[in-house]
Amino acid sequence: MKRVKDIDPGLSVRSLAAFEQERRILSDLGNDITGVRDKNDLIILFSKRIKSLFYFTHTIVTLIDAKDETYTPFLLDHESSPIRSHAQYPELIKAHFSLNEPFIRAALRAEEPISFLLEDIMDQPQSPSFLRANYEAGVKEILMTRLMKEGKPMGFIHIYSDKPNSFSIEFRNVIKGIAPQLSGAVSNIIKNEEILKKEQEKSLLLDFSNDIATGRTKEELAFAVRAVLKKINPPGGFVIRRINEDNTTMSPYAYDLTKTHDPKVINALEQARYPINDGLQDRVLNSAIPLLFNVDREIQRGITSSYLQHWKTMGFKEIVGIRLRNGETNHGILFLDIQEINVQLLQGICSQISIALANIMANEQIHKKQEEQAFLLDFSSDIAQVRTKADLQAAIFRVLDKTMHTQLSMIRTIDEDGYNMSPFMYDETLFERAKKHFAELLAHRVTVDEIYTADVLTSEDGLVFNIEEELKSGNSYARLWETTGLKNVYGLPLRVGNKNIGTIWLLADRLSKLMLKGICAQISIAIANIQANEKLLAYKKQLEVENDYLKEQIKTIYNFSEIIGNGQQMQKVYRLMSLVAGSNTTVLILGETGTGKELIARAIHNASLRKDKLMVKVNCAALPANLIESELFGHERGSFTGAIDRRIGKFELANNSTLFLDEVGELPPEAQAKLLRVIQERELERLGGKQTIKVDVRLIAATNRNLEEEVKAGRFRADLYFRLNVFPISLPSLRERPEDIEPLTHFFVKKYGRNTGRKIRKVAPKVIQQLLSYTWPGNVRELEHLIERSILLTPDDILRDVYIPENTATDKQDLTHLLNHSLEEVERSYIIEILRRCSGKISGPGSAAEILKIPGNTLHSKLKKLGITKKDYFG
Amino acid sequence: MKIVVIGGSGLIGTKVVAHLRQAGHQVIAASPATGINTITGDGLAEAMSDTDVVVDLANSPSWEDQAVMDFFQTSGRNLLAAEINAGVKHHVALSIVGVDIMQNIGYMRAKKAQEDLIRQSGVPYTIIRSTQFLEFLKGIADQATDGNEVHLSDVRFQPIAADDVAAFVAKYAVAAPLNGKVEIAGPERFAMYEVVAQYLRHANDPRKVVPNGKPLYYGGEISHAALVPVGQAELGTINFEKWWSNQLQKA
Ligand SMILES: NC(=O)c1ccc[n+]([C@@H]2O[C@H](COP(=O)([O-])OP(=O)(O)OC[C@H]3O[C@@H](n4cnc5c(N)ncnc54)[C@H](OP(=O)(O)O)[C@@H]3O)[C@@H](O)[C@H]2O)c1
Repeated sequence: MKRVKDIDPGLSVRSLAAFEQERRILSDLGNDITGVRDKNDLIILFSKRIKSLFYFTHTIVTLIDAKDETYTPFLLDHESSPIRSHAQYPELIKAHFSLNEPFIRAALRAEEPISFLLEDIMDQPQSPSFLRANYEAGVKEILMTRLMKEGKPMGFIHIYSDKPNSFSIEFRNVIKGIAPQLSGAVSNIIKNEEILKKEQEKSLLLDFSNDIATGRTKEELAFAVRAVLKKINPPGGFVIRRINEDNTTMSPYAYDLTKTHDPKVINALEQARYPINDGLQDRVLNSAIPLLFNVDREIQRGITSSYLQHWKTMGFKEIVGIRLRNGETNHGILFLDIQEINVQLLQGICSQISIALANIMANEQIHKKQEEQAFLLDFSSDIAQVRTKADLQAAIFRVLDKTMHTQLSMIRTIDEDGYNMSPFMYDETLFERAKKHFAELLAHRVTVDEIYTADVLTSEDGLVFNIEEELKSGNSYARLWETTGLKNVYGLPLRVGNKNIGTIWLLADRLSKLMLKGICAQISIAIANIQANEKLLAYKKQLEVENDYLKEQIKTIYNFSEIIGNGQQMQKVYRLMSLVAGSNTTVLILGETGTGKELIARAIHNASLRKDKLMVKVNCAALPANLIESELFGHERGSFTGAIDRRIGKFELANNSTLFLDEVGELPPEAQAKLLRVIQERELERLGGKQTIKVDVRLIAATNRNLEEEVKAGRFRADLYFRLNVFPISLPSLRERPEDIEPLTHFFVKKYGRNTGRKIRKVAPKVIQQLLSYTWPGNVRELEHLIERSILLTPDDILRDVYIPENTATDKQDLTHLLNHSLEEVERSYIIEILRRCSGKISGPGSAAEILKIPGNTLHSKLKKLGITKKDYFG
Repeated sequence: MKIVVIGGSGLIGTKVVAHLRQAGHQVIAASPATGINTITGDGLAEAMSDTDVVVDLANSPSWEDQAVMDFFQTSGRNLLAAEINAGVKHHVALSIVGVDIMQNIGYMRAKKAQEDLIRQSGVPYTIIRSTQFLEFLKGIADQATDGNEVHLSDVRFQPIAADDVAAFVAKYAVAAPLNGKVEIAGPERFAMYEVVAQYLRHANDPRKVVPNGKPLYYGGEISHAALVPVGQAELGTINFEKWWSNQLQKA
């Protein structure tokens, strides 16, 4: 199979000079070789020196690769290679040749340099192709010498010659002798190259670390990465993908795509959000080492992420992916278009990128935080200036939009009853797609016990509801929420100190909890302020109203001690009053006008447990029918035309006090119905209002009408009458208690004398006489007015005259009128008149007979004689 | 086929590489020395390129419990990830008979973890569970030595020659993946102390074997049958005597 040129033993006797020369050459060469650090220098030095002694064409050194049992060129003397222009040359110098074939096995076995004639071996089936290539370039013979390291073959010296028999024994001995030094030199060079490479990598990483450390922005990071990658892999592109805030997708962050300039592709790549678990990215993130991807294979595997298609169209065949990780946290992936994977170097680069990325993200976070804080600050100063709900709304909408890119869904506040929750503010535009549903929700009554509200109110910092999950669990709001297309609902309690004042609801995919908390705290305070402000205004209004009453009442006031009169009739009234005052019983005061019904009502109030609060009075006759309900029960803003403001009704005003309904007989039917309801249920609703208000009011009603008659005539509700007529007190007319006229006169004289600054010492007896003889249809009030007027007309300190104006005038008129009549006629109409005044009472006390100072029997017969019937005086 | 043998420079690895090369396959003998390291990932991706079969015969350089676990987990994860990326069609690994019933022993837990990673990886696989290697007898004697005495139990023991192991591994490497496990063992079954005594006698080792009842292995107590195959196993052809004479020839 092969013919080995054996060493001729006959030539073993050599001259001393030859040995000497050999020894010198070996030691010189050995010295020089061990000093060489460069691959090229080594082969050129070696080749030159040997050539100075022996003839050959060229030499190369090949090294064994243990992993696949091959050998491959390591040192090449291009200059002298005759096959340099051979078509296969570039291929040959990189090729790995099998150690598993006869030619090289012979070389491996041979302890001495061994030569072959190319002719003999090159065409053997397994022989390496470089033999034939050399032969074709004129080479005839090859001398193979093993290079050993630690007792194992590490490579070969190949020496080629175009002349046969070039390899003399001296030549072989020199080569054999120099082989160990050459092995040592090659090992040194390999080690040196390794060290150099490591050093280069180190300085590369150091430079990169310096570059990257100064970078604060994404652009600077991209720049530094581009620079370092250009150094290790000039043609390749890269992309850094970062894990998005949602923690489920990744997006390109920085990149250098040299292979495409198609703006459409770039744009698509830039905008993309690739699911992390797409079957490829997750593999990189889970792998501690760089992974090499074959683009086609990954597509075949069924991975659908669009970047693979883009890579394919850009012409990438293989891509290396390395995770960017800091400690235990993945930040992203570096994808590289690179041929050689230097694990340590890439990991070094990636750990730097990871740190930079983490820094930049932390920076961005800080920046964002600062921005948010600035907005919060603005918000808090905005809010500090807010006085009205409209201002607050504008401020809230603005801060939500700017800091969290979200919209308000709803703020509900807890009503004063601590139970109901009213909508305070909302943004309907959020529910454009479900207007009806939202309107329903608004109309729906919500209380603090409603389960979602209760959960939120009792939570520490609010709750997040996942809309999808809520849908599944049958939450009825979820269908409304769903229409927004957002993922979560955030419900937070609005609190001032430890007190819940309401709830706020926001819809978003994700919100910063801290921001939310900050904003909610501000909103809570602002709402509390506005509520306090509203309350203040309401109190103010109530005070004004009360003040008005007070003034009004001061004008007309009689206080209990001012009730004058000790006659029997009045004693009866006092007894009734003292019986009823202490209870909460409704009192109905009956009596002619001017009999002092209000005075009695007030006295009852003042004698009751409610005396510390003001009695509220409504004159049912003094109000237009269309306003009386609002007067009594109050109204909400906008409940009817002209209702510009919310108004508290007299009933509410009289809560825990007494409501005095004067002239109750004049109440229109609708108001009667409502009044009845309030009396029955002890709660009321404001006009236009939705909620009922509990009230505790004691009622005193008064009328000068005969309510029974009114009921019969259908003008007054019977049921209301029964409700009012629980404890009737009838006030006597002044006519019926003439004994009180004199004390009353003295009282008024004193009162008006003082009021007008005049001191009336005395009332003339004639005046008293005059007053006693008058019938007083206007009762006490008429007496009071008369005295007031008379005092004004009195020139000195004695009241000598009273002017009973109208009645006197009519009397006079009547008198003149009487002059034209017969005595009988005069007598008849006089008796009728008297009977009328005495309400038809003929005999007994206060009767016509008494006034006429004739016996009752006489009057009876006179009536008969004059033909006076009941019809005449009751007409 | 292109076959990568991880741990190709080890006891079994060297032999498997030789077998497969003999059969004409393109074989990469991977080990840190040849620039392929499953722990650091060095050279792994390149080695995997166009590879059909990977045979994992790597072993942990350290025997300490945590180190072994870390080694087999990290090595397994990295290797399988690279295989998936490269589209490797068959992963063959050498495990140990009784591995799942000796989970009180750290090394066995690590080998079990290695097996689990393989089963979960999605790469078609064959797990070969072997009994102890005859080459390991000296080691067993050494670790049980107390002065001039070697204390060993009568635990059932069926050692197999590395050459037999390598032949089986080479056979399964080029066969279709089983996606399951096979068990291989030596042709003879002994009590552990017997075969070690036999070995020491042959080696003219003066140490005396003292049978004591406690079945221990790697410091952990095991059942008497833990180290031998339960059901069907493929048996090697090299018995102790043959193995011994082979050893003498090589020396
Ligand atoms: N011993 C037994 O009784 C027994 C029984 C059943 C199964 N097994 C299993 O058989 C397998 C092989 O055992 P063995 O005795 O042949 O082992 P071994 O002789 O110790 O060889 C271990 C091999 O793993 C290589 N290796 C170490 N670290 C590596 C890394 N980071 N990357 C790549 N390769 C690495 C070593 O390379 P270097 O040479 O470069 O360090 C060596 O080639 C092991 O998995 C073992 O668990 C053993």
